[in-house]
Amino acid sequence: MASTVIGAGITIEGEITTDEDVVVAGTVRGKLSAKEGITIEHGATVDADVAGASLVIAGALTGNVTATERVDLQSGARVIGNVKAARVTIADGAQFKGNVDMDV
Amino acid sequence: MAQVRTTTRGGDTREARIGGGARIRGRIHGEGDLVVEGQVDGEVAIRGDLTIAEGASITSEAVEAHAVTIAGTLEGDVAATGPVRLAPGSRVRGNLRGTAVTIDDGARFSGKLDCEFDLPPELGGAPRGDARGRPPARR
Repeated sequence: MASTVIGAGITIEGEITTDEDVVVAGTVRGKLSAKEGITIEHGATVDADVAGASLVIAGALTGNVTATERVDLQSGARVIGNVKAARVTIADGAQFKGNVDMDV
Repeated sequence: MAQVRTTTRGGDTREARIGGGARIRGRIHGEGDLVVEGQVDGEVAIRGDLTIAEGASITSEAVEAHAVTIAGTLEGDVAATGPVRLAPGSRVRGNLRGTAVTIDDGARFSGKLDCEFDLPPELGGAPRGDARGRPPARR
Protein backbone atom coordinates (compact mmCIF):
# COMPACT_ATOMS: atom_id res chain seq x y z
CA MET A 1 0.00 0.00 0.00
CA ALA A 2 1.18 3.42 -0.84
CA SER A 3 2.53 5.75 1.79
CA THR A 4 0.24 8.59 0.86
CA VAL A 5 -3.23 7.99 -0.50
CA ILE A 6 -5.59 10.78 -1.46
CA GLY A 7 -8.93 8.99 -1.25
CA ALA A 8 -11.72 9.34 -3.79
CA GLY A 9 -13.75 11.77 -1.67
CA ILE A 10 -10.85 13.98 -0.68
CA THR A 11 -9.71 17.24 -2.27
CA ILE A 12 -6.38 18.86 -1.55
CA GLU A 13 -5.77 22.41 -2.64
CA GLY A 14 -2.16 23.35 -2.19
CA GLU A 15 1.23 21.80 -2.34
CA ILE A 16 2.05 18.16 -1.65
CA THR A 17 5.68 17.18 -1.23
CA THR A 18 6.85 13.73 -0.21
CA ASP A 19 9.90 11.44 -0.15
CA GLU A 20 7.67 8.44 -0.69
CA ASP A 21 5.07 7.33 -3.18
CA VAL A 22 1.61 8.77 -3.70
CA VAL A 23 -1.69 7.40 -4.98
CA VAL A 24 -4.31 9.92 -5.98
CA ALA A 25 -7.90 8.73 -6.28
CA GLY A 26 -9.47 12.06 -5.35
CA THR A 27 -8.74 15.62 -6.41
CA VAL A 28 -5.51 17.59 -6.18
CA ARG A 29 -5.14 21.22 -7.17
CA GLY A 30 -1.82 22.97 -6.88
CA LYS A 31 1.44 21.13 -6.98
CA LEU A 32 2.39 17.50 -6.40
CA SER A 33 5.92 16.23 -6.08
CA ALA A 34 7.22 12.90 -4.83
CA LYS A 35 10.66 11.32 -4.80
CA GLU A 36 9.13 7.98 -5.75
CA GLY A 37 6.16 6.79 -7.75
CA ILE A 38 2.95 8.68 -8.34
CA THR A 39 -0.21 6.89 -9.40
CA ILE A 40 -3.20 8.88 -10.58
CA GLU A 41 -6.07 6.46 -10.56
CA HIS A 42 -9.05 6.24 -12.83
CA GLY A 43 -11.61 8.76 -11.58
CA ALA A 44 -9.03 11.06 -10.01
CA THR A 45 -8.71 14.70 -11.03
CA VAL A 46 -5.35 16.41 -10.82
CA ASP A 47 -5.02 20.05 -11.69
CA ALA A 48 -1.38 20.48 -10.85
CA ASP A 49 2.17 20.31 -12.00
CA VAL A 50 3.39 16.83 -11.11
CA ALA A 51 6.95 15.67 -10.54
CA GLY A 52 8.08 12.22 -9.45
CA ALA A 53 10.34 9.29 -10.24
CA SER A 54 7.83 7.27 -12.22
CA LEU A 55 4.24 8.16 -12.94
CA VAL A 56 1.27 6.01 -13.84
CA ILE A 57 -1.70 8.04 -15.01
CA ALA A 58 -5.16 6.60 -15.54
CA GLY A 59 -7.21 9.62 -14.48
CA ALA A 60 -7.59 13.21 -15.62
CA LEU A 61 -4.57 15.46 -15.34
CA THR A 62 -4.12 19.07 -16.36
CA GLY A 63 -0.61 20.33 -15.82
CA ASN A 64 2.97 19.66 -16.68
CA VAL A 65 4.47 16.30 -15.83
CA THR A 66 8.12 15.65 -15.09
CA ALA A 67 9.53 12.26 -14.18
CA THR A 68 13.11 11.23 -13.50
CA GLU A 69 12.37 7.72 -14.76
CA ARG A 70 9.18 7.19 -16.73
CA VAL A 71 5.62 8.20 -17.44
CA ASP A 72 2.90 5.73 -18.43
CA LEU A 73 -0.43 7.02 -19.66
CA GLN A 74 -2.88 4.18 -19.31
CA SER A 75 -6.10 3.56 -21.14
CA GLY A 76 -8.72 6.01 -19.89
CA ALA A 77 -6.19 8.68 -18.98
CA ARG A 78 -6.87 12.25 -20.06
CA VAL A 79 -3.81 14.45 -19.93
CA ILE A 80 -3.48 18.06 -21.00
CA GLY A 81 0.03 19.36 -20.52
CA ASN A 82 3.64 18.70 -21.34
CA VAL A 83 5.34 15.47 -20.39
CA LYS A 84 9.06 15.32 -19.72
CA ALA A 85 10.70 11.96 -19.01
CA ALA A 86 13.30 9.64 -20.50
CA ARG A 87 10.66 6.96 -21.10
CA VAL A 88 7.07 7.65 -21.99
CA THR A 89 4.31 5.26 -22.99
CA ILE A 90 0.84 6.20 -24.15
CA ALA A 91 -1.59 3.30 -24.13
CA ASP A 92 -4.35 2.81 -26.63
CA GLY A 93 -7.37 4.62 -25.23
CA ALA A 94 -5.41 7.34 -23.49
CA GLN A 95 -6.15 10.94 -24.46
CA PHE A 96 -3.25 13.32 -24.56
CA LYS A 97 -2.72 16.90 -25.62
CA GLY A 98 0.66 18.49 -25.16
CA ASN A 99 4.33 18.03 -25.89
CA VAL A 100 6.52 15.10 -25.07
CA ASP A 101 10.14 15.73 -24.22
CA MET A 102 12.27 12.60 -23.89
CA ASP A 103 15.41 14.70 -23.75
CA VAL A 104 16.70 13.24 -27.03
CA MET B 1 13.91 2.36 -6.28
CA ALA B 2 10.45 3.56 -6.95
CA GLN B 3 7.59 1.18 -6.90
CA VAL B 4 4.50 1.92 -8.85
CA ARG B 5 1.14 0.40 -8.39
CA THR B 6 -0.40 -0.45 -11.68
CA THR B 7 -3.89 -1.09 -10.40
CA THR B 8 -6.07 1.75 -11.44
CA ARG B 9 -9.24 0.74 -9.68
CA GLY B 10 -8.16 0.24 -6.12
CA GLY B 11 -10.66 -0.89 -3.55
CA ASP B 12 -9.38 1.16 -0.63
CA THR B 13 -9.78 4.55 -2.17
CA ARG B 14 -12.30 5.85 0.35
CA GLU B 15 -9.47 6.12 2.79
CA ALA B 16 -6.92 8.86 2.64
CA ARG B 17 -3.52 8.83 4.19
CA ILE B 18 -0.76 11.39 4.34
CA GLY B 19 2.39 9.30 4.76
CA GLY B 20 5.23 9.99 7.14
CA GLY B 21 7.44 11.47 4.45
CA ALA B 22 4.77 13.78 3.10
CA ARG B 23 4.19 17.45 3.66
CA ILE B 24 1.10 19.32 2.56
CA ARG B 25 0.66 23.05 2.49
CA GLY B 26 -2.91 23.92 1.68
CA ARG B 27 -6.46 22.90 2.28
CA ILE B 28 -7.73 19.33 2.64
CA HIS B 29 -11.44 18.73 2.42
CA GLY B 30 -13.99 16.14 1.35
CA GLU B 31 -15.56 12.91 2.46
CA GLY B 32 -13.92 9.90 4.01
CA ASP B 33 -11.52 9.12 6.79
CA LEU B 34 -8.09 10.69 6.88
CA VAL B 35 -4.96 9.47 8.61
CA VAL B 36 -2.10 11.94 8.86
CA GLU B 37 1.38 10.55 9.52
CA GLY B 38 3.26 13.44 7.95
CA GLN B 39 3.01 17.20 8.14
CA VAL B 40 0.04 19.32 7.21
CA ASP B 41 0.07 23.10 7.23
CA GLY B 42 -3.42 24.31 6.44
CA GLU B 43 -7.09 23.86 6.97
CA VAL B 44 -8.59 20.37 7.28
CA ALA B 45 -12.33 19.89 6.82
CA ILE B 46 -13.55 16.35 6.24
CA ARG B 47 -16.75 14.44 6.76
CA GLY B 48 -15.11 11.40 8.30
CA ASP B 49 -12.77 10.46 11.08
CA LEU B 50 -9.40 12.15 11.43
CA THR B 51 -6.41 10.44 12.99
CA ILE B 52 -3.23 12.35 13.65
CA ALA B 53 -0.68 9.60 14.15
CA GLU B 54 2.34 9.61 16.42
CA GLY B 55 5.07 11.73 14.85
CA ALA B 56 2.64 13.63 12.66
CA SER B 57 2.07 17.33 12.96
CA ILE B 58 -0.72 19.62 11.85
CA THR B 59 -0.67 23.39 11.98
CA SER B 60 -4.09 24.64 11.08
CA GLU B 61 -6.47 27.51 11.52
CA ALA B 62 -9.32 25.05 11.77
CA VAL B 63 -9.74 21.30 11.87
CA GLU B 64 -13.21 19.95 11.20
CA ALA B 65 -14.02 16.24 11.20
CA HIS B 66 -16.24 13.66 12.86
CA ALA B 67 -14.22 11.73 15.42
CA VAL B 68 -10.72 13.11 15.97
CA THR B 69 -7.90 11.07 17.49
CA ILE B 70 -4.61 12.81 18.13
CA ALA B 71 -1.37 11.02 18.97
CA GLY B 72 0.90 13.57 17.30
CA THR B 73 1.16 17.33 17.42
CA LEU B 74 -1.61 19.75 16.61
CA GLU B 75 -1.64 23.50 16.68
CA GLY B 76 -5.07 24.85 15.95
CA ASP B 77 -8.70 24.63 16.86
CA VAL B 78 -10.70 21.43 16.48
CA ALA B 79 -14.42 21.37 15.77
CA ALA B 80 -15.52 17.74 15.83
CA THR B 81 -19.01 16.39 15.30
CA GLY B 82 -17.94 13.28 17.23
CA PRO B 83 -15.59 12.53 20.10
CA VAL B 84 -12.08 13.96 20.42
CA ARG B 85 -9.33 11.92 22.01
CA LEU B 86 -5.84 13.07 22.94
CA ALA B 87 -3.70 9.95 23.16
CA PRO B 88 -0.58 9.56 25.31
CA GLY B 89 2.32 11.47 23.79
CA SER B 90 0.13 13.94 21.93
CA ARG B 91 0.79 17.67 22.08
CA VAL B 92 -2.12 19.94 21.36
CA ARG B 93 -2.38 23.69 21.51
CA GLY B 94 -5.79 25.06 20.61
CA ASN B 95 -9.43 24.87 21.48
CA LEU B 96 -11.30 21.60 21.27
CA ARG B 97 -14.96 21.11 20.56
CA GLY B 98 -16.64 17.72 20.32
CA THR B 99 -19.40 15.53 21.69
CA ALA B 100 -16.87 14.20 24.17
CA VAL B 101 -13.25 14.96 24.88
CA THR B 102 -10.83 12.41 26.31
CA ILE B 103 -7.37 13.42 27.46
CA ASP B 104 -5.22 10.41 28.18
CA ASP B 105 -2.44 10.30 30.71
CA GLY B 106 0.72 11.56 29.00
CA ALA B 107 -1.08 13.90 26.62
CA ARG B 108 -0.09 17.56 26.72
CA PHE B 109 -2.79 20.07 26.04
CA SER B 110 -3.19 23.77 26.33
CA GLY B 111 -6.41 25.41 25.27
CA LYS B 112 -10.10 25.53 25.91
CA LEU B 113 -12.53 22.64 25.96
CA ASP B 114 -16.00 23.14 24.66
CA CYS B 115 -18.19 20.11 25.07
CA GLU B 116 -21.64 19.68 26.50
CA PHE B 117 -22.18 17.19 29.27
CA ASP B 118 -23.73 17.00 32.72
CA LEU B 119 -21.40 17.44 35.63
CA PRO B 120 -21.61 14.67 38.20
CA PRO B 121 -23.28 15.83 41.44
CA GLU B 122 -20.03 15.81 43.40
CA LEU B 123 -18.62 18.40 41.02
CA GLY B 124 -21.84 20.32 40.60
CA GLY B 125 -22.37 22.09 43.89
CA ALA B 126 -20.27 20.32 46.47
CA PRO B 127 -19.27 22.54 49.36
CA ARG B 128 -15.55 23.07 49.38
CA GLY B 129 -13.19 23.53 52.21
CA ASP B 130 -12.97 20.06 53.69
CA ALA B 131 -11.03 18.64 50.84
CA ARG B 132 -8.23 21.14 51.08
CA GLY B 133 -7.66 20.84 54.77
CA ARG B 134 -3.99 20.74 55.59
CA PRO B 135 -2.59 18.39 58.14
CA PRO B 136 -2.38 20.12 61.49
CA ALA B 137 1.02 21.54 62.31
CA ARG B 138 3.00 19.19 64.42
CA ARG B 139 4.32 20.25 67.76
